[in-house]
Amino acid sequence: MPVDTIIATRALTKRYSDVTAVDDLALDVRRGEIYGFLGRNGAGKTTTIRMLLGLIRPSAGEVSVLGARIVPGETSVLGRVGYLVETASAYPNLTVRENLDIQRRLTGAPCAAVVQALERLGLGTYADRRVGRLSLGNKQRLSLARALLHSPDVLVLDEPANALDPAGIVEIRELLQSLARERGVTVFMSSHILAEVAHLADRIGIVHEGRLLEELDREELHAKARAYVEVGVSDPGRAMGLLRAAHFAHIERITEGGNHGGGGGGGDILRVFDAEERASEIARTLLDAGLELTRLAPTREDLETYFLRLTGGAA
Amino acid sequence: MIRAVLATEFLKLRRCKVRWGTLGGLSMAPLGLALFMWILREPGRAAQLGLLGAKANLSGLEATGPAYLSTLTIVFGVGGMLLLPFIVAYLFGREYTEGTAKNMLALPVGRHWFVAAKLVVAAVWWFVLVVVVLAEGVLVGLALGLPGFSVGMIANSVGNALLAAAISFLLVPVVAWVTVVGRGYMGPIAFAIAGMALGNLFGKTGWAEFFPWSIVPLMIGMVGSPQTLPTASYVVLALTFVIGTAATIATLRLADNAQ
Repeated sequence: MPVDTIIATRALTKRYSDVTAVDDLALDVRRGEIYGFLGRNGAGKTTTIRMLLGLIRPSAGEVSVLGARIVPGETSVLGRVGYLVETASAYPNLTVRENLDIQRRLTGAPCAAVVQALERLGLGTYADRRVGRLSLGNKQRLSLARALLHSPDVLVLDEPANALDPAGIVEIRELLQSLARERGVTVFMSSHILAEVAHLADRIGIVHEGRLLEELDREELHAKARAYVEVGVSDPGRAMGLLRAAHFAHIERITEGGNHGGGGGGGDILRVFDAEERASEIARTLLDAGLELTRLAPTREDLETYFLRLTGGAA
Repeated sequence: MIRAVLATEFLKLRRCKVRWGTLGGLSMAPLGLALFMWILREPGRAAQLGLLGAKANLSGLEATGPAYLSTLTIVFGVGGMLLLPFIVAYLFGREYTEGTAKNMLALPVGRHWFVAAKLVVAAVWWFVLVVVVLAEGVLVGLALGLPGFSVGMIANSVGNALLAAAISFLLVPVVAWVTVVGRGYMGPIAFAIAGMALGNLFGKTGWAEFFPWSIVPLMIGMVGSPQTLPTASYVVLALTFVIGTAATIATLRLADNAQ
């Protein structure tokens, strides 16, 4: 394990009777890194986070945080960890300030930490409002304030952007970035929103059906998105044959709206992969054969499409 | 650490309507009992007011100070077996119904401290209820002017009621355990009702003094004449308390908390 590894899992597995929620997961998150744990709903993100915090016991494998092996009831390093698990929750009959005061007392943080957390998360005007009367977005802010209150070295955040408005998302993104860059806080955050993770994370682990499919940094993620030339043509079926004959090996035919298919609808378009530099050759091939071109657009697959392709969703 | 956890547990009770509900509920009992005694004493006037004096007479009770005080003791025994489990179910179960268990259990605090603090809060809550309602009961009884009251008898009844309330508390860790296993309110409330039913059933057998849920009914006279408990009953209750507490801590430490 590298010296600066803050969170590590080895062969981490969690089974619930015949369902394997997390399967043989191996992760290393380094000091000061923002690690995006990306997966669709039910991919095993929250189960992994629960194991990182000792809320559930692994069926096999192990977890360590800040060098300590985490099992339920192990509390030696939890004072240095801030967390938000799944939905934002707090005592509804207490005020925002009282909820934070509970966290302060139990983490041993100084009294001033409550005011700082309120200001940092923009909750000052709601400090004396009961949590039961807060909006979902402000409940999420309260949960983030609770996570940050005791100035932890590690943040484990499950879907931190949930329920936040666009301005709030940017605000939290900047806050997490500044904590990582300026204070060396390690952030492990799960999300099902690729764009959010792509903006924020230094490294991204893509998990699907409990297994880590791929781990890559932000630049690699962008590089992995495939390039293709989108072609609208009067006779897609004939055009496919012509392009194959011209040694364009990888062509997909999709109906307008994004579905793959071999249907013969006139509205079909072709995606010619690995052909960014050969757009003019595509045009010449089709025009020389007397076909009418309605569209010719070199395109790069967006990250969402890459993610869906990787996790088996419709692209 | 226990001071910090206790402070937060008491803070969680702020603006909690349930505590007033329990006080309101239990404080109705002496008033109801006093009304019953008044009907027994004044059947004619009760009938004029449309109250059922004949049915009250069927209870076999007399409108006397001793009858009032012994029935009041039963109220605290029943309260200890139904209302007290409700309090404990609320204190432990709210963490699951309000979604805060996951926050609480990932804190840098040993989970046994939460169990200890919640049991202390339950004890204080219950003790305050008992003292307030017992004082109310005695005052209402005195105001009713029932015959046969004496300082010695009142002191004896207050002592019995306090003992019944105290030994009822020894059963509650099992309720706490049912709550953390079931992660909500329904399980412990059903358990408390079943415990009371079984307690009454076993109370009529020769094993009553060894079955934890029969011991309180046996002591207060719910299943026959009030009895002085043998030492073995206190040992059984103490073991119940220890086992229930250990099981609650073990469940919080060992079971998955996938709320």
